[in-house]
Amino acid sequence: MTTRPGRAALWFVLAGAVLVAALGGLAIGPVRLTPVEVWNALGGRGDVTAVAIMRDIRAPRVVLAALVGAALAMSGAALQGTMRNPLAEPYLLGVSGGAAVGAVIAVAARAPFGFVPLGAFAGAVAAVLLVLAIARAGGRRPDPRVLLMAGVVVGAFANAVIMIALASAPADSVRNALWWMMGSVAGATWVQVGWFAVYGVTSAGALLLVAPEIDVLALGDDAAASLGVDVDRAGRRAYVIASLLAAATVATAGLVGFVGLVVPHLVRARAGRRHRGVIAAAGLAGAALLIAADLVARTLRTPSELPLGAVTALAGVPFFLIQLRRFR
Amino acid sequence: MHHRSSTLVRFAAGAGIAALVTACDAHPRTSSADSAAAASAASIIDDFGDTLSLGALPRRIVSLNPATTELFFALGAGERLVGRTHFDIYPVAAQAVPDLGNAIQPNVEAVLGARPDLVTLYASNSNRHAATRLRAAGVATLTLRIDHIADFRRSVGILGRVVGDTVRAHRVVDTVSGTLERVRATMAGTKRLSAFWKAWDSPVIAIGGGSFLSELVEIAGGRNIYGGDPRPAFDVTIEDVVRRDPDVVFAGPESGARMRAAPAWRALRAVREGRVLIIDTMLVGRPGVRLGEAAVSLARLLHPGSIP
Repeated sequence: MTTRPGRAALWFVLAGAVLVAALGGLAIGPVRLTPVEVWNALGGRGDVTAVAIMRDIRAPRVVLAALVGAALAMSGAALQGTMRNPLAEPYLLGVSGGAAVGAVIAVAARAPFGFVPLGAFAGAVAAVLLVLAIARAGGRRPDPRVLLMAGVVVGAFANAVIMIALASAPADSVRNALWWMMGSVAGATWVQVGWFAVYGVTSAGALLLVAPEIDVLALGDDAAASLGVDVDRAGRRAYVIASLLAAATVATAGLVGFVGLVVPHLVRARAGRRHRGVIAAAGLAGAALLIAADLVARTLRTPSELPLGAVTALAGVPFFLIQLRRFR
Repeated sequence: MHHRSSTLVRFAAGAGIAALVTACDAHPRTSSADSAAAASAASIIDDFGDTLSLGALPRRIVSLNPATTELFFALGAGERLVGRTHFDIYPVAAQAVPDLGNAIQPNVEAVLGARPDLVTLYASNSNRHAATRLRAAGVATLTLRIDHIADFRRSVGILGRVVGDTVRAHRVVDTVSGTLERVRATMAGTKRLSAFWKAWDSPVIAIGGGSFLSELVEIAGGRNIYGGDPRPAFDVTIEDVVRRDPDVVFAGPESGARMRAAPAWRALRAVREGRVLIIDTMLVGRPGVRLGEAAVSLARLLHPGSIP
């Protein structure tokens, strides 16, 4: 990571944004608590209800939103570099479709409550493998465009499977699947956070490790090959790690669109050309954005919630447009 | 939102409504009770404003609403049913009637295939298209919105005229109303407990004032914490439930077990103090002939020993 003064300011701003969002997420909710009550309840002191609200409702939500947001943004940043395509993002590459198929099948098969995330993860992994297989069938040296197209094709296929499954599933399970697909961290528990943290930190670490390879890939296949990089293998590796990271988010929080697409673009201009910096910065920005989006989702329409994916898209579009204008 | 999920949202929105067949989907209520009374004795104006002429008694009926299916059996017309929805499983005899699928946006061709001379539908806007097509095909339709206990009484009266047994219809209404009044009178003196009715887990769905379940809670000596909201059912955050601090929670067996196991629900005093009341979902859940029994069961849950 570089240490130029502009970059230092960027890290400071991003860390500050995560902190402010987290404090807001902890302090604000339907039950009004003073900052002192919030602090005491977090430490396990005071009213039992306040302690449970802070420790079992708000805190796991904030942490899970941060982890999911960071994972999606990091995954998107890595994929955009690897594919050399600004539109590349985990959802475009078959992950969301595969996960949705897995979840819907789990729901339609009347699997017990806890099996939906497992089904989603299995579906996402299957989609990733399928995309790789299709891309490989397309030629000896699959270039990023083939991978991208394979992702779109797998996504379209998944969509068809989902529609058939939903059309034949009982109405109440359709609602379950539908709600899950709109994205939410409402059901966050510490167990969930724990599993996701272990998995996410490992994958994110791996992504940062292969980041220098992504820098080379971003130069183009020929340039990368002339620099002695096994283009095929490096591209596949980055794709698989980034996709598995996104798959875990889908399994935990459903489909939260736009974070993987937009957040990397927001930080790219300032985080420099090195992907290690871009991916890390995208992670922080994604965490802050999703904590804030979840706060909006659960407070704007009380007593109900807004779908998290809708909030991220609504907030993401103007950001994206501002960024686009700046580039022109 | 991503294009794929938005397609799905549109696709499944219609089907999702069917989940709470008797509760979801609010549209302005028609003053059909008045208009039906004003209509001539030989016809009925239903909740879509369509006129049903009462000529010969219907002999092949398709009932696309669990509540009317129950009622046809209660009115002694069960053997005239030639079709029902997937959700009509009471009384047991109803399960022998052919299952034609959805109650909301039904498969019109499957319904026509049963060769009915009358189809009853739930008066949801999503059913307008089906009703129009059935009428265009020459099949009489009767759409009824049965959300409240008053809707139930009105619907029994209408169905009694349709099947030609108004005496029996009066008896059904009197039995149910009598039981409800007895429960109300018995529970009037008890301490009124505030109650949260959890209808679903993910998302958490609460029963609101627009549902007969909210009325049943009141009759049984409780007060629905979301009774002031005119919608029949809607999603809520756990923390909003905590803010309203209900004395008790009503939930189905599985839903209740999940609630006791979930750390987040420990924020709710009623859960911490072990007052999650498990309802008999087969008995309580439909605005049908067992409304009275349902009220008794809720009263017994709220105040054990209050009704022998």
